[in-house]
Amino acid sequence: MIEIRDLTKIYKLSNKKKAELKTKDSEKVAVSGVSLEAHPGEIYGLLGPNGAGKTTTLRCVATLLKPTKGEISVCGFDTVKEGKQVRDKICFLTNEIKLDPHFSASYMFDFFGGLHNIDEETLAKRKDFFFERFGITDFKDKKIEDLSTGMKQKAAIAVSLVHDPEVIIFDEPTNGLDIITARVVTDFLKELRDSGKTIIVSTHIMSEAQKLCDRIGMIIDGKKVAEGTLSSLLAQENAEDLEDAFFKVYKRVKGEDKIG
Amino acid sequence: MKGARRIIKKELARVFKDKKLIFTMFIMPAILMFAIYGLIGKLIASANNDIIEHKSAVTIVNAPEDFKQVIEATGYRLMSDVSYSDEAGYESRKTDIENEVINGQTDLLVCFDKNFEADYKAYEKRGDKIPGINIFYNSTENYSQQAYNVFNRSVITPYRETLQQARLGDLEKLEVFGINEQLLEKESKKDTQFLSMMLPYLLVIMLFSSAMGITVDAIAGEKERGTLSSMLLAPISRSEIVVGKLVSLSISSTLSAFVYCVSMIFAMPMMMQGMGGEVNFSFISVSSALMLLAIILLMNLLFVSLISLLSIVAKDSKTASTLVSPVYIVVVMAGVMTMFSSGAEVATWKYAIPVYGNALVIQQICSGEVVMSGFLASVAGLVVMIAVIIGLTTKAFNSEKIMFNA
Repeated sequence: MIEIRDLTKIYKLSNKKKAELKTKDSEKVAVSGVSLEAHPGEIYGLLGPNGAGKTTTLRCVATLLKPTKGEISVCGFDTVKEGKQVRDKICFLTNEIKLDPHFSASYMFDFFGGLHNIDEETLAKRKDFFFERFGITDFKDKKIEDLSTGMKQKAAIAVSLVHDPEVIIFDEPTNGLDIITARVVTDFLKELRDSGKTIIVSTHIMSEAQKLCDRIGMIIDGKKVAEGTLSSLLAQENAEDLEDAFFKVYKRVKGEDKIG
Repeated sequence: MKGARRIIKKELARVFKDKKLIFTMFIMPAILMFAIYGLIGKLIASANNDIIEHKSAVTIVNAPEDFKQVIEATGYRLMSDVSYSDEAGYESRKTDIENEVINGQTDLLVCFDKNFEADYKAYEKRGDKIPGINIFYNSTENYSQQAYNVFNRSVITPYRETLQQARLGDLEKLEVFGINEQLLEKESKKDTQFLSMMLPYLLVIMLFSSAMGITVDAIAGEKERGTLSSMLLAPISRSEIVVGKLVSLSISSTLSAFVYCVSMIFAMPMMMQGMGGEVNFSFISVSSALMLLAIILLMNLLFVSLISLLSIVAKDSKTASTLVSPVYIVVVMAGVMTMFSSGAEVATWKYAIPVYGNALVIQQICSGEVVMSGFLASVAGLVVMIAVIIGLTTKAFNSEKIMFNA
């Protein structure tokens, strides 16, 4: 269970950043007043364009960033005050966070298992299960740097699940993956959902959100502008598909002339 | 601190399970030390031998007969090519012969005064003309310098004594008193000048370069590759990650520096033999070895934590290396500063200056004259500095701006 209440994240901009963003403001509001809940047994999708604040929101949930305002609780633990407990309940996956390429998937699984205080027997069982599930058993002792991109991603997912987390946070789950690996990942996320896990993903790919997510929150310019199940969003916006619905919302928020 | 222990284990496995790293950190330094010191020793020895074995080309102008006899009697002819020339022959070729000395074709030119023998014999009282010998040599040419030294020692001195004997009869009259020199020195300080001059400097360089090699990659490299973030997601505190990283890096780099030191200790005599000197390691008593070890370990931790701090602040390995380079120069300078110290008493507070004070203590340990208060000040200075840097590093690990460019 994830509860985000009135989350606001403001970045202070350095002179270099100001020049990069071509702004004179010394602050950038990345997320503004976002509240949402993700429940066990559901996949919640954060949908929005690049720079909308999806990754920042997920990083705040994963305790990597501290909210400027608002609160986040994961399985009842506060992400700021009880960061360690939160990290023991979650797994956070993103393309930017990788496994040490000098070690094998098997070593990394054991290493992170150790950091999560998993006993050896459970660790061995889980390793067999996940490695088999993702088809990496034959490559488990190969150095991660020698694995293919898809295999690396699957190894990273397997290792991140070492502690059987209750909450799975996935930033752009299929980004950079070939269609087969992407399918393996989305299928597995559904499996996890069915086993009662709380899953929150961010994506800007409409078709992915449509197929994968039980509920969707649309984020534009750091604000949550719409939320609901796929059917409720379609009905709400009188749209044929999610992409259609998203653009209707987007036009309303940004104004007609801002598109294209 | 269970998490820190696991990180230490993993980081050590990273080093000790990688054949390439084992070779570059622990085997190559030993090979390099032996190769470099052995080669330097051999080159110096062969250069010295070459100078000694070289047959000097000596031209002697207006040589008196009795001088020629001394040349024969001393066996000088066996080690040099001596050619005699008379005044007339010399006058016509004067510039040529002098140029030959300048250009290194002739090693030594010795010119007796025209009436050397007559003037010597005519001398009766103070104020009478004293005949002279003009010696031309070139101090920028090793062969010429050596020819001058040998000629002075082997020919001029015996010739002078022969003439003095002939004039005075009893040479002992000239020897008003005798000088009896006795060297009184501590056995532990004998032959330690070279070591106490070089070791602090070499140790500082070795410790820093060993630490630099692995720390930049282990911190900035991991940050760049995104593997550090995966550790930040583990249910452990940031300080545990910092401790785990610093301790493991210190262990690896200390071991690497230790290999450097041991190889140097064994390889240095190879160089000193070539130079005709010796290295005295008798300062290594249990207490001095322990003090040296304490300083080395703490200095290593200082370097590792300092490089870690710079590496975590940097956004990638390249920037980290750029940040570390000026620090390396400052550290080396601090080591160099102690190379030329006069041995005068140093104020205790100066020992507390990291690197400089530590190099001073190492220097004193090498010469067997360590000041306890200086050693303690040095340790205290290091501990305080390390604590401050570890504090800053932990703060950097907790900073969203530094870790996630947020």
